[in-house]
Amino acid sequence: MPELKFVRPIHIRPLPEGTQPVVSLKNVTKRFGKIIANDSITLDIYPGRIKALLGENGAGKSTMMSLLAGRYPPDEGVIEIDGNPMKFSSSKDAITAGIGMVYQHFMLVDSMTVAENVLLGQEGSFFINPKEMMKRVGDLAETYGLDIDPAAHISDLSMGERQLVEILKLLYRESRILIFDEPTAVLTPEETSKLFEALWRMSEQGKSIIFISHKLEEVIALADEIAILRHGKIEGEFDTNAIESKSDLASRMVGKEVLLEVNREPAQICEPVLEIRHLTGLGLTDINFRVRKGEVVAIVGVAGNGQKALIEAVTGLCKPPVDTVFIMQKPWRKFFAESTWNRSMCYIPEDRMGLATLRNQNMVDNLLLTTRKGFSKGPWLNKKRAEKDTLALIKKYDIRPGRIHALAWQLSGGNLQKAVLARELYREPRLIIAEQPTQGLDVSATEEVWSRLLEARGMAGILLVTGDLNEALQLADHIAVMYRGRILGMLPTSDKETPGKIGPLMAGVID
Amino acid sequence: MPLKIRKRDDPWKWGALVVFLGALLFSLAISGLLLAGQGKDALEGLYVLWQGSFGNLWALEGALLKAIPLFLCSLGVAIAFRMQIWNIGAEGQFALGAIGATWMALLFPDLPGIILLPLMFVMAFLFGGFWAFIPAFLKLKLRVNEIISTLMLNYIAILLLDFLVFGVWKDPASFGFPMTPEFTSGAVIPHIGESRVHWGILFCTVVGIGLWAFMRYTRLGFELQASGQGSRVAKYAKIRYGMLVMLVMTLSGGFAGWAGCVETSAVLNRLQPSLMVGYGYTAIVVAWLARLEPLNIAFASFLLAALRVGVENLQLELQIPASFGVIMEGMILLTVLAGQFFLTYKLERKHRS
Repeated sequence: MPELKFVRPIHIRPLPEGTQPVVSLKNVTKRFGKIIANDSITLDIYPGRIKALLGENGAGKSTMMSLLAGRYPPDEGVIEIDGNPMKFSSSKDAITAGIGMVYQHFMLVDSMTVAENVLLGQEGSFFINPKEMMKRVGDLAETYGLDIDPAAHISDLSMGERQLVEILKLLYRESRILIFDEPTAVLTPEETSKLFEALWRMSEQGKSIIFISHKLEEVIALADEIAILRHGKIEGEFDTNAIESKSDLASRMVGKEVLLEVNREPAQICEPVLEIRHLTGLGLTDINFRVRKGEVVAIVGVAGNGQKALIEAVTGLCKPPVDTVFIMQKPWRKFFAESTWNRSMCYIPEDRMGLATLRNQNMVDNLLLTTRKGFSKGPWLNKKRAEKDTLALIKKYDIRPGRIHALAWQLSGGNLQKAVLARELYREPRLIIAEQPTQGLDVSATEEVWSRLLEARGMAGILLVTGDLNEALQLADHIAVMYRGRILGMLPTSDKETPGKIGPLMAGVID
Repeated sequence: MPLKIRKRDDPWKWGALVVFLGALLFSLAISGLLLAGQGKDALEGLYVLWQGSFGNLWALEGALLKAIPLFLCSLGVAIAFRMQIWNIGAEGQFALGAIGATWMALLFPDLPGIILLPLMFVMAFLFGGFWAFIPAFLKLKLRVNEIISTLMLNYIAILLLDFLVFGVWKDPASFGFPMTPEFTSGAVIPHIGESRVHWGILFCTVVGIGLWAFMRYTRLGFELQASGQGSRVAKYAKIRYGMLVMLVMTLSGGFAGWAGCVETSAVLNRLQPSLMVGYGYTAIVVAWLARLEPLNIAFASFLLAALRVGVENLQLELQIPASFGVIMEGMILLTVLAGQFFLTYKLERKHRS
């Protein structure tokens, strides 16, 4: 991947004295059940400035934007626009107030032209002269220097161009505050630079821009101000030119302080259960490491640096190149051809509801999902025994509600994760792939998951992929830091200096 | 009074039944209004409808007869839907089943029923199954959307049936009407005693129970239901998704094929274009009404069959347009589906906090 070089055309201008913020959030709190997604957030957004919101997945960025976009009201606190407290009852109110949002998934009609899409759903006369329409949209694009043909059909456009159409839609509505939710995720590097130029131009013309991302270098290159969001709170807010180093930013994003501790007794280390040798491809470059029975190896890094591809290559969701992945000392293909339901590999995915469980089915069926071969005799399935074992697991792991007929969607996040963990450990795995195993869980559930994983070292080696640095430090024997598809370092947690080294590596800084 | 929508914490125990009956009542009420709009007496109309579908033995027999092919087609459609494979092609698979059965009946007219009938059923299953296998194969290998391909194959199947009865299979003694010769007695499923109902109903019962047991007690049945969550979950659970798609579509088509076989053999006693009255499409309505459960499918197919018979009566007695039945069918489906909202959500009075 070529290194991105962003050259900012103008330097950050100081805000004129006495400039009033366009939008102010004042002690805004939003809860979903027991989980606090946004915890008394206070934030000011000024005209003509680009504000980046930096945070890991699940830090509360999307919730905050949804509050601004009027998708749901805050539980506490107020949102002020031009100093007036606002109460949005729908996203329409937010649009009227001048807030526009570009979502990750574009909302465009593929078979229509750019101009038609821009004018779609706008107030005005019912009949519009196509020529007039093209001209208006063309002029608008020119004003902001957006290079796009108003007569082009959406289906012919690249992702980057489609994004420009989304921006044009907002500009046409005269939105003053433009929110971008991870806009570069779908773009090529060239398109990203083009987008940035467009954003700078818009901010020069007085628009306020909120840019949500977890990519450090983009945020540093683009923004005037950066706010870091972590666990639903604003962790820090500063001007971009006040940043001392990228690694400082990275560690502030993932956090340093120890929130929770477990007592990790060393376990006996035995034979390797996972070996990766010179794995290149799938967006990864020369990955080498191994996991032995009795140890935990953690993979950390800012999301989107190749962790997903690595997991998919190991768990069988996609095929790695020949002779790169060895599980239980067998090449990948041989392992999956011979793999049995138990004493093998198990995968605890991040997407518990979508991947690891059957939403609309009960606990017994969910136990059977990966263990069914252990309950079958010929073509038949022994459901009686499955029910008995489900009940035993529910008791052992205290999964609530404690009924075997509860459906998966009725379980809270923590209980669902416990159920997945119970099922996967029931298979007596030799290799466990745990992906963000405690994301979104409360403290007690996190502790429970951690101690179960540590206990499982008696039978298995564990590959832990996590965005939570503390989790990695608490559980792992070794921590591998991933950056742009590479492993930049394999650090032992027994070393006192390891915590300090992780931040710079996550930002891609090697000394 | 302001109301608030809230997600249910626990499933509503009798919800499905309440919603179904409520929706039925609602659509009957609307039907009454439609009747009134045409200047008919709404209450009388509903009474005639009742009389025509459940009011006497003749009507009940008629409903039962129509319920048989509907039930088989619907079972087939439902197992495919369970896996979220959208088989809209029961109509065509039904036609192919009828063709397969007719082929055997015409090829071996002199065989005794005990051999010929099983032969017809096997061939009907194979033909119907093959017709459904084509879209499954195309879906897996070329990513062709199965909704489109199954639907298109319906037209091809009906044209194929026409081609045969207008051509090579036409009865020389039919005075030019497009129909095959009448089947020999060995190729006809006998009636039960003196009634109009035939033994195909026993076959339905066996197939229904068999499928229920298959879904509930076998590993394959479980894998099939689990795959309904999509190919990614299937991959996670190491289920062979592609193989299952082909299997399920073949089964699905085979069941529709059986329906074609039963209808040709027991009701028409020959193959002719009037066989195709849209059971394959109504089966989709039935499957959804029944929430894809075999036992419910039995009830729903009887209900919709009774509705068909009843509307025929209504048509005769009150001179109502034939489309009235289709309107009612659609209305019942829509209200039931809309009503399922209340299974996951409930309305509450808004509290001031």
